[in-house]
Amino acid sequence: MNRDEIPPGTLYLLILKTIARSGKMHGYEIADSIQRTSDDVLQVEEGSLYPALQRMLIKGWVTAEWGTTAGNRRARYYQLTTVGRKQLAAEISQFKRVIGAITRVIQTA
Amino acid sequence: MSFFGELARRLSMLFRRSQFDADLEEEMRLHLELREQQQLQTGMTQTDARSAARRRFGNPTVLKEKSHRTWGWQWFEDLLQDVNYGMRAMLRSPGITIVALLSLALGIGANTAIFSLMDAVMLRSLPVKEPGQLVLFGNGTDSGISDSFSNEDLFSYPFYREMQQKNQAFSDLAAVFSMNHRIHGFVEGRSEAEPMNIQLVSGTYFPMLGVHAMIGRTLTDEDDQRKDGSPVAVVSYSWWNRSMAHDASVLNKKLKIGSTVFTIIGVAPPEFFGTKVGDLPDIWIPLSMQKEVPPNFDGYSDNFSESLYLMGRLKPDTTLTQAATNVNLLFRQILLGFPDAPLSQENLEKLKKTRVILSPMTTGLSSLRSKFSEPLKILMAVVGLVLLIACANIANLLLARSTARTREFAVRQALGAKRSRLIRQLLTESMTLALAGGALGVGFAAGASRLLLRMVSSGQATVPLDVSLNIRLLLFTLAITCLTAVLFGMIPAFRATKLELTESLKDGRGQTSAGTKNQLAKALVIAQIAFSLVLLVASGLFLRSLINLTNVDTGFNRENVLRLQTDASSIGYTYGDSRLLSLYQQIEERVSAVPGVRAASSSLFTYNEGSWNTRVSVHGYDADKNRNVKHNIVGNGYFATMGIPLLAGRTFRSQDSTNSPKVAVISEIMARTMFPAGSPIGHRYGVGGSEHANDFEVIGIVKDVKFGSLQEDQQTLDYYPVTQHIRYLNDFEVRYTGSLDAVLSAVRRAIHDVDPNLPISNVTTLDEQIGRSITNQRLVAQLSTFFGLLAVFLSCIGIFGLMSYVVTRRTNEIGIRMALGAERSHVHWLVMREILLLAALGIAVGVPAALAGNRLISSMLFGVRPADPPSLLAAVVILLIVAVMAGHLPARRASLVDPIVALRCE
Repeated sequence: MNRDEIPPGTLYLLILKTIARSGKMHGYEIADSIQRTSDDVLQVEEGSLYPALQRMLIKGWVTAEWGTTAGNRRARYYQLTTVGRKQLAAEISQFKRVIGAITRVIQTA
Repeated sequence: MSFFGELARRLSMLFRRSQFDADLEEEMRLHLELREQQQLQTGMTQTDARSAARRRFGNPTVLKEKSHRTWGWQWFEDLLQDVNYGMRAMLRSPGITIVALLSLALGIGANTAIFSLMDAVMLRSLPVKEPGQLVLFGNGTDSGISDSFSNEDLFSYPFYREMQQKNQAFSDLAAVFSMNHRIHGFVEGRSEAEPMNIQLVSGTYFPMLGVHAMIGRTLTDEDDQRKDGSPVAVVSYSWWNRSMAHDASVLNKKLKIGSTVFTIIGVAPPEFFGTKVGDLPDIWIPLSMQKEVPPNFDGYSDNFSESLYLMGRLKPDTTLTQAATNVNLLFRQILLGFPDAPLSQENLEKLKKTRVILSPMTTGLSSLRSKFSEPLKILMAVVGLVLLIACANIANLLLARSTARTREFAVRQALGAKRSRLIRQLLTESMTLALAGGALGVGFAAGASRLLLRMVSSGQATVPLDVSLNIRLLLFTLAITCLTAVLFGMIPAFRATKLELTESLKDGRGQTSAGTKNQLAKALVIAQIAFSLVLLVASGLFLRSLINLTNVDTGFNRENVLRLQTDASSIGYTYGDSRLLSLYQQIEERVSAVPGVRAASSSLFTYNEGSWNTRVSVHGYDADKNRNVKHNIVGNGYFATMGIPLLAGRTFRSQDSTNSPKVAVISEIMARTMFPAGSPIGHRYGVGGSEHANDFEVIGIVKDVKFGSLQEDQQTLDYYPVTQHIRYLNDFEVRYTGSLDAVLSAVRRAIHDVDPNLPISNVTTLDEQIGRSITNQRLVAQLSTFFGLLAVFLSCIGIFGLMSYVVTRRTNEIGIRMALGAERSHVHWLVMREILLLAALGIAVGVPAALAGNRLISSMLFGVRPADPPSLLAAVVILLIVAVMAGHLPARRASLVDPIVALRCE
């Protein structure tokens, strides 16, 4: 199977969107969800999620609280804040702008 | 907003770091386990599943560190780690640490203490509105009442008013009486007179300074409009506290001063101490009331009673030069414009030459400043040197320790630690040490500055100066602490981390690098010795000056004389009245009859109490020889009481009275220089111009005495009998035998038998009074000796430390020498030779430095030249002895080295 590195700078976007979709997730769920949603195309070094999550905590985009998993394990669940939702919107529109521009450049044969 | 939120989150992480790490750990472990389970379900073996999970996760340790670092506290954690490490290193060698901390605490503490005094006396701005705009007319050196036309320091009240109206340079002008009235008065409802330090000020004084009352109101120009018109008083916070115990109903309380009842209208704010540093008035009274305040000077409407200091607030756009031009123009105009101006040729000449300078008054007036600025600067330099010596010492200790740590640094560098990181760690260690020392120093300074204040206070009461810790002081201490840390930490840090890796790893005793390190350490010890020498020589000079001063012939007999002050002016005796005379005569009589009293007398002055001087003209003698003579008014027993020998003629006796011809006793030097050849007895002279030339007849000549200070030359002095000059004679002195305490209480009783209300204050002895006049010489001598010895002690530790270290390093070499047949005495000499060489080098550097430095202190010396061979020789000898003592132990240890043990230890 062919796996691709995610484009630089999009990790935050992916995490934010993933959490936004299901409201509340722990680290493994986020990593797993990104992979599955992308049909196993996007390859994230799973551990790199954690420094990124710290950064997002500092920025106040997400909050974290401890809970229990379905398998009755202690896990830290992340949740978007209002600031986080705004950031997500901003990241999405920025990403679209960039992708749109790149696409236009490619299509101009 | 988001910035603060972020900062708050970062801070909360900082305080829960271990929790944070544990959480992250758990989170990651869960992740790995869940992934492992998921892989197992795809049919992998346990081992494969685990390694696959790890592969997909990445390096957990790196990721953990990365997450941790994201929070941005790396620098802080490094710092904590370094501090922690530094502390452990300090605890590992407690001897070194204690010596270092103590010398730092003493060094920094002494600097802080001296600086706090310097700050209070010389540097701190007045606590008033924009003190930078304030200027003083003249330079405030004169004080008192002058009747010499066109004085450039002192001004009359009418002059002040004229200047206030006509000037264009000042937004406001104020006047204060140039000396305080230290008298006794009564607080409403109390029967005993209390001492009060009263300052007469113009009504504009408080408004001009921009000082507002804490309670009630301050004086205003309204209070200063009509002579005797406004009996009101503002009291200082400290007096309110001391005498009225913070009584909230202070307003409208009455004070009876002289024969007038004053109403308290306000309390000044706590920080306001007037405009003269170290002389806090108790009570401020408007100048319009000066006639009512004893001793009842009457200068309010006298155009030429020059007694006031003038101070003004410059208009914002006026420069000092512009103001000076304006003031000097008006100065002439106003003086010449007074209808009663004494326009003699002489006075006009004088006016033409007089120029009033304007002095900035940011830091206020101070007699302390002129007295102590020189000693304080010297002491500041002394303690600065001590701190440098302490720094050299600590640098040496650290150098020795860092050499011992060579291997540790080599290992760390080999493992990839950056040199900058190691230097940072070593500097942090130094800083930790310095800060600990600084903190101890501040504690030490708090006690020391109080002691210092006591030492500079020449009176019985401590000078009212605020030397408590303040921000400026703490900043100063912090600055010198950091400076010392850099000074003593820099060299060892750079030295220790610069190394040949393989060389050091091989044996940790790289002979080459250790050699250069020793050079450096030796240079530091030489510097210590040189600095110590400078300090020792200086303290030797100060001590000799002090001894010379104490041995000065005062002309009177300073032993067994009790001196106290009375204040007849406060309890209704009038100047010039025969009641006053009989009061003094009765007291003299009663006290003389007390057992143990040999003689007793009142006088205007005894010693070091200011002066009253006028120009004198001698009948039938060249007018050019006329000069200022200082006067004293004394009771008949004065010369016997003071033990001033009569050289010719007679002293006063009861026949000299108001009705008999006026007589005077003159000093030896006056007799010799101001009278024609032959005996001046029977000769006449006068005070003032030539029209007075026949006022007094000389009846006796007495030995010259010290009058103002021990350093002064012979003074032209004359004495008048109180019977012919009925003034307030506040000094009373008693020559006694036996116990002072017994005599004192009997004397008090005798005085109160004559008038039970007469206030008695400032009880002391003549000897003590003389001692107080050389306070600053004693201060400098004692402190510089203390610090000189401290410096020597520190150098001693320095030499000892260095040589012990050198001997340890050379044990091997010494062992070889001994194995090859070297004598123990030879080995001993080997070490001693090195010590003596160090000492000699230090002395060679120190002697020229001392000679150069001592020229700067020549103004503080008395009877010794700056290049004083005995002081220099003594210092050199002391240092040599100390060096030999400090070197003895290491040298002995070297000579006792057992060659077998020494060789095996390699």
